[in-house]
Amino acid sequence: MTTPTDLHADVAEVLVSEEAIQARVRELGQRISDDYRGRNLTLVSVLKGSLPFMADLMRAIDVPVRIDLMEVSSYGGTTTESSGLVRILKDLSASIAGEDVLLVEDIIDTGLTLNYLIRYLRGKNPASLRICTLLDKPARRLVEIPVDYTGFTIEDRFVVGYGLDFGELYRNLRFVGVLRPEVYSSGG
Amino acid sequence: MGGPPELRNPDTEPPAFAHASEAELSRILDFYAVRWEYEPHVFPILWNTEGEVLESFAPDFYLPDMDLYVELTTLRQKLVRKKNRKLRRLRELYPDVRIKLFYARDFRALMLKYGRLALAEELSGTPGQVTPERSYEELVAGWAGPSGEAPGPVAAADAPADPSGTASAATRRRRRRRTRLAPRPVAPDGAGTGR
Repeated sequence: MTTPTDLHADVAEVLVSEEAIQARVRELGQRISDDYRGRNLTLVSVLKGSLPFMADLMRAIDVPVRIDLMEVSSYGGTTTESSGLVRILKDLSASIAGEDVLLVEDIIDTGLTLNYLIRYLRGKNPASLRICTLLDKPARRLVEIPVDYTGFTIEDRFVVGYGLDFGELYRNLRFVGVLRPEVYSSGG
Repeated sequence: MGGPPELRNPDTEPPAFAHASEAELSRILDFYAVRWEYEPHVFPILWNTEGEVLESFAPDFYLPDMDLYVELTTLRQKLVRKKNRKLRRLRELYPDVRIKLFYARDFRALMLKYGRLALAEELSGTPGQVTPERSYEELVAGWAGPSGEAPGPVAAADAPADPSGTASAATRRRRRRRTRLAPRPVAPDGAGTGR
């Protein structure tokens, strides 16, 4: 894949504008603040895609909150034929036992990664574990997981921006957009 | 109607994937530690007036932890009419069965997500075909109704007999002669069940 010279030129359509994202993040932050007032809230974000969402969401929450970060390997993330098993590339830096944990995701589609993370985090005995995602793509769901806070439910299209990448690029777009098909068809 | 489906394969029998895309999906499920079984159940969906099973449907995967069947097809959208009809029939007869159909576009999107779009092109449609569609005998092997008898007849005037279920003996022999994909070891115990 060649590095694009103009990220915006590769975007066919803006699916969720920067303004819509910021307004929705404020709403989610208010709801989460109301729900977790007086509790021990820890936000756990999954690198790398949810980084911008996490950064904005935590600042929209007005109750005391701890944050932690995790990173897991993705299928096909290696060049070897067999990718084996999902691996925790970065684990939590502190115990979440007894904490009210809110897992912050950028997007849920198949639910496979989230399903793995939920099982992993439940093994660490949090007081509660809930899910917050900026984008939900239910058409592609394999594993049904109840989502507690959803930013936007989107149609079944490949999206980039606001943390979401294609080939590690486009994460820094301030909106969520749809790439022109020729971008990924040629880059395969 | 129809009674409970029977297990198609013993647990010790490793899967022989009918299509390379199915093998790829099994690897994805393994990667994310989702338990799966390959074509474990056969659902009769059409009977003649004698009560004999004319057509059956064996979804590709069963995910026991989700109680979900997954049928994967990499045929182009306009060629999946027959599969859609089978799926509708299955849902009519077994409304409690949860099944999700993964079309070629879904598989392609999955590969795009994992940065393996080129692989999707290789595995789609006929080029990815490594074994024939299950023969009628294979599909209904082991089937018995609730009392060990074939289930009662079902009027299905709108549903013509499936060629795969009514193929001649010669056709079935020809299909069986085709190369089968050597099963990839998917579980240490060879049980064909993901971790």
